[in-house]
Amino acid sequence: MCYIYIEQMFITENFGILEKRRFLITRFRDNEWRRRMEPLEIAEEKVQIQVQGVTVDNSSLSLMEKLGILADSAKYDVACTSSGVERKGNGRDLGNCVKSGICHSFSSDGRCISLLKILMTNECIYDCKYCINRCSNDVPRATFTPEEICRLTMEFYRRNYIEGLFLSSGIIESPGRTMELMYRTLYLLRNVYRFNGYVHVKAIPGAPPELIRMTGFLADRMSVNLELPTAEGLRELAPNKHRRNILTPMRQIQNGIQVNRHDLMLYRHAPKFVAGGQSTQMIIGATGESDYQILNVAESLYQKFALKRVFYSAFVKVNEDKALPALPGGPPLLREHRLYQADWLLRFYGFEAHELLDEKRPFFNVMLDPKEDWAVRHLEQFPVEINRASYERLLRVPGIGVRSARRIVAARRSARLRFEDLGRIGVVLKRAVYFITCSGRMMYPTRLEEDYIVRNLTSEKDRVQFGSDGMSYRQMSLFDDGQYSLQPQQEDAYRVVTGQL
Amino acid sequence: MRVYQCEDSLEGVCTAIYRAYEEHADHQDTWIRTDQELMLFGEYIPVESDSERAEKVLRTLRRSFGQEDLERLGMALTTPEADKAQAVYRTVVHGLRTRPAPGHLLDHQTDPYILQTFRLAKKAGREFGQLREFIRFRELEQGILYAENCMKNDVLPYLMVHFADRFPQEDFAIRDIGRELMGIHPAGGDWYLTGSHALGEALRQTGYSVQEMAYEELFRYFCHKIAIKERKNIDLQNRMMPKRFQKFTIEFAKKGENC
Ligand code: SF4
Repeated sequence: MCYIYIEQMFITENFGILEKRRFLITRFRDNEWRRRMEPLEIAEEKVQIQVQGVTVDNSSLSLMEKLGILADSAKYDVACTSSGVERKGNGRDLGNCVKSGICHSFSSDGRCISLLKILMTNECIYDCKYCINRCSNDVPRATFTPEEICRLTMEFYRRNYIEGLFLSSGIIESPGRTMELMYRTLYLLRNVYRFNGYVHVKAIPGAPPELIRMTGFLADRMSVNLELPTAEGLRELAPNKHRRNILTPMRQIQNGIQVNRHDLMLYRHAPKFVAGGQSTQMIIGATGESDYQILNVAESLYQKFALKRVFYSAFVKVNEDKALPALPGGPPLLREHRLYQADWLLRFYGFEAHELLDEKRPFFNVMLDPKEDWAVRHLEQFPVEINRASYERLLRVPGIGVRSARRIVAARRSARLRFEDLGRIGVVLKRAVYFITCSGRMMYPTRLEEDYIVRNLTSEKDRVQFGSDGMSYRQMSLFDDGQYSLQPQQEDAYRVVTGQL
Repeated sequence: MRVYQCEDSLEGVCTAIYRAYEEHADHQDTWIRTDQELMLFGEYIPVESDSERAEKVLRTLRRSFGQEDLERLGMALTTPEADKAQAVYRTVVHGLRTRPAPGHLLDHQTDPYILQTFRLAKKAGREFGQLREFIRFRELEQGILYAENCMKNDVLPYLMVHFADRFPQEDFAIRDIGRELMGIHPAGGDWYLTGSHALGEALRQTGYSVQEMAYEELFRYFCHKIAIKERKNIDLQNRMMPKRFQKFTIEFAKKGENC
């Protein structure tokens, strides 16, 4: 074993003052760190006790117990690895990144498990009403050390359990202190453990900008949670958080990405800053906003902050609090589903928020998906001729997704398309028939009439059965009715066997 | 009618394509098959695989169609389907005649052969994607990472490429149980394929490392904790992660279960 000094940027206790300190860090040659780790002990009985709500003294917690507490607290955060970061292995360090993202498992709620999703700590000084970790709750508390997180990440990764790390945190002592701990963790992970896989980290609002910037150079994606769609909602439910504090780091990261893009053009080897872009998340249904308001917020986040993704998270009531809604029907999953569908329409189908909803109709239709809903209200734009219509118009037809629209455009160059061909191309005909013609003819005589079409669209037996087995969360991007899937294509994803051919 | 009968491998099919062009075959009336089934009235020509000729064909294809399309053709050939060689052959003939732009080789989907190639490539590609996600390595006593799985398509080489890039400094092995094939990657070296029977059994005899059980337990616990019980949806879980993969993952498998 050899000891070396590693120079590390470091924020002192009185935040904002940046200084360089030299740290004594133990470095192991190659993979030696692995062999040197003391065996982990597992204490299952203790876990049982802790589950019943008894606060356990942190210092005596095993790794297992900490993982239980801190994964449990992180489970409401949404993340996905399909951020478009493609990073080949470097032949030396552990890990690479695949553009399309990789899910590794699926939990019993059907959501994908692709990252080691944990909080750094749940010893939080804030008191957000919707959160299980608020300081006024009596729940077991735990804090990981940076080393523990690194070890877990490395060991999980090399067994192909995970695609990387998702690190969020409650506010321990202060935002600056929290961010500093997170930075130290990533620093260690990247530079000492030499992890080259995917890392998504939360920026903590209110932390010193310099610290956020430095963290950004170690992460593939950063996100700041918007928490609630409007400032009023935030005031009501998260008294310690302020809209402005949230938007400031968001803007900072956006600017950082832009500057970095410029740097990368000049110097190819300049370090990359948040290469996978930034995302955010809103809780749906904890406050009274309409779908229209939420969609508008999302649209402006995409436009003004250049976000890569906005995630919607159906509110799960974990605290009894009179400020929170009752939600007798459980989390508003259908609403969340419709918002994701609409989000897709904004990002890939050329729709704008005001086309889908307006002040008079501020909520999505329960029976129809947002695109069908739009189509039946705009029958004057149909039918669309498959062999001639522009790509943009094809995209607006229910039952035609991005991939099938592309395939239609490609295939009709060499031959006229018939209805039989469309099925093979991936068009969901039973939904599209009302809206298309092939060589001027409809598939069978239908009426271009709102009531008639709505009745037919909603009577299909095999429609999305919501709630029971309705929607898919594969990388939060593939909806099971097929047409909203712009998941990076699997057939493109195997572009690996290069040397082998 | 001429039928070239070749070995069931990329090399075999490429050699057959070479022969078909070399002998100025009438492509409309020529078949390439990898199985032994006889067709009526055919003139059968057995083809000996030849790496040099196959290499030439691959070079031409890469130059004409680009890497992406070439990989799709390769992927289609990993499937067990009987007509795959024919589909790929006719796709190649069509491509060399019409010279589509890179990435557009399989656009012309009103042609049944091209459509078939597209389907096969998609099918194998999907399985490759799933295996890449759901394969689990377990650490053996000597620190070797070992994984096994059943593969419908012969995608082991693709998996080896993926993991060799990801774990360059690890000793790891992946075993395709059905085909009795094993891919081996020595730390810092190049990977290779070998018959797996004896080796696989030997590896199975070796115990797991001290750490292994602890980490498996940690991950199982993590998977349990990360689920939101208010959103429980087992159907969806099973749909996203088919049962045949579940039994090879440590978070689902019961001890000792396999293929
Ligand atoms: S800051 Fe608010 S939401 Fe975050 S952990 Fe603390 S109480 Fe929960």
